[in-house]
Amino acid sequence: MNGAVQAASPPRPRVVIGVIGDDIHTVGNRIMQLALQESGCEVFNLRTRNRPEHFCQAALEVNADALFISSLNGEGEYWCADFRQRLQAMGLGHVLLYVGGNVVVGNRPEAEVVALFKRYGFDRVYHQRPDIAAAITDLFEDLQRGKTQS
Amino acid sequence: MARPSPDARLLHLDRQREQVLSHPLARGLQIAEVERFLASVPQRRFPSVVYADRGPLPLIQPRGGVPLFDDQHALTQALSGAGADFVPLTIDSCTRHNQYDTAMQLLRRSEEEGRSLLNGYPLVCHGHELTRQLYLGLDKPVSLRHGTPDARLLVELAIASGIAEIEGGGLCYCLPYSEGFPLDRALLYWQYVDRICALYSTPGRPIHRESFGPLSATLVPPVIAVVVQIIEALLAAEQGVKSFAVSFGQTGSFVQDVATARVLRRLARDALDSHGFADVQLRLVYHQWMGQFPMQRDRAAALIAGSALVAGVIGADKVVVKTVDEALGVPSAAVNAEAVNNVRYVLRSFAVPDGVDSPAITAEAALIESESRAVLDAIYGLSGEMFWESVYRAFQNGWIDLPFSPHVDNANRLTSMRDATQAIRILDPGSVPISATDAATERKLLESRSDRGDKTYRQMLADITLMA
Repeated sequence: MNGAVQAASPPRPRVVIGVIGDDIHTVGNRIMQLALQESGCEVFNLRTRNRPEHFCQAALEVNADALFISSLNGEGEYWCADFRQRLQAMGLGHVLLYVGGNVVVGNRPEAEVVALFKRYGFDRVYHQRPDIAAAITDLFEDLQRGKTQS
Repeated sequence: MARPSPDARLLHLDRQREQVLSHPLARGLQIAEVERFLASVPQRRFPSVVYADRGPLPLIQPRGGVPLFDDQHALTQALSGAGADFVPLTIDSCTRHNQYDTAMQLLRRSEEEGRSLLNGYPLVCHGHELTRQLYLGLDKPVSLRHGTPDARLLVELAIASGIAEIEGGGLCYCLPYSEGFPLDRALLYWQYVDRICALYSTPGRPIHRESFGPLSATLVPPVIAVVVQIIEALLAAEQGVKSFAVSFGQTGSFVQDVATARVLRRLARDALDSHGFADVQLRLVYHQWMGQFPMQRDRAAALIAGSALVAGVIGADKVVVKTVDEALGVPSAAVNAEAVNNVRYVLRSFAVPDGVDSPAITAEAALIESESRAVLDAIYGLSGEMFWESVYRAFQNGWIDLPFSPHVDNANRLTSMRDATQAIRILDPGSVPISATDAATERKLLESRSDRGDKTYRQMLADITLMA
């Protein structure tokens, strides 16, 4: 491979992932790490039991392109409300925000849940969607477009 | 070298207990008053009483915990009314992590906003006096389900509330549930729990302990579940617990389930008897599929029915059931009641009094038994003054290594996958001391797999989401 081609290849997307709240569900987190890595991302895994400030601080420290926030036990609703404001306050308004898992407690219509998290400033919401590949496809699309919608 | 011994009792319990009970949320709990209260609750609140006269079918226990008292009361009534043999009390995750202030805030908000912001019942916040009121007039056992590495205060309050079945253990409630709680502390704190269970026990009314065998519920090879269960039975027996249940979760392979049940029951009895604990009553509990559940309700119902059948085949003393809404979040009381009914229907319709056998089951059982004996014998041979210290050392050595544990100190050197029959196989034992012959057998059985060479995460996802 010659140098010119190497220089043209895009940098690997830098993604911070982790589980929010007092949630210890780790399986999806491990698989998500594997899947993002196998898709060419550089992954910074905060693992389980994180607060919003942990994600935002990590985004700053590693110069992240995107945050992947997981919630399996439904605490997401409680913790995710001010994510976008926190990022903006740190000068990180450009960072893409994704949330997935069982992001609210109880059984609520998906459209309602998606609308709620969009209001919170999330770019993509995957409520009870088992397919990881879709989120990764979306990530590369969003990165290409280069801007968060918020 | 520290083998389990009836003489190994937790030191300085009184001082520790004074400290635990000085917490404001203990609300001045008096041990003597709790003893009087326990003597006054119906005898059928004690699992050993209910187990002793169970019929040919496994007893049924649903899951369930909601934040508000009134809702939990309604849930309890609904489940009991639906014919549950055990009533669950599932604790929220803030309480499990000893974050009582956060639990209190979320409880207040749940009360104000009329919706659930906690994923269980915050027993420590509600307190024992209120929680007793949940069970007025109830004549069946209540089972405390949580996932708490330091459950000392929680269990003090649970027993004071009249809850006579305490699930958990130093290994099974730390390694699958905590990212950083030091395992040696968890083991010690669970010795405290075991000891107070023993102290509150009387001959006709023992506080029953149950271990949680599904662990991470993700590609856990039977040897790991069996070893953890036997260790926790021994640790509880050391502190004087007289009634104990070992458990495991549905593996995804019928053959492996039947073999695991057989080995677990036999080796646990053997281990208790040979260490001076012949007087401990032992039960076997089966957990319906603990992995990812199908989103479609008819599929979920089929899975629940199928695994109810397995519970009958293995002669489980109790089966812990799932609901058709498992994949969708915390189930409603009605859905839970429906699950109890349907499982009972399957158990009754397809009763298997004498179990089943086949050459495949015999071979699987021989493999699990050989592996489990090797690991247990290795642990018994480790140094330490007390058995729990040997257990801790075994964990440090990576001899107890749990796949998909979130715990920072877990070795993560053992890797496992499913073979062509869906049985969980050890691809690499890491440091777990099974024999070279058994390790080779495991690897050989894996060669039957057809999609080797696909991306790692896809193979693993396929294995993990087997039933979804």
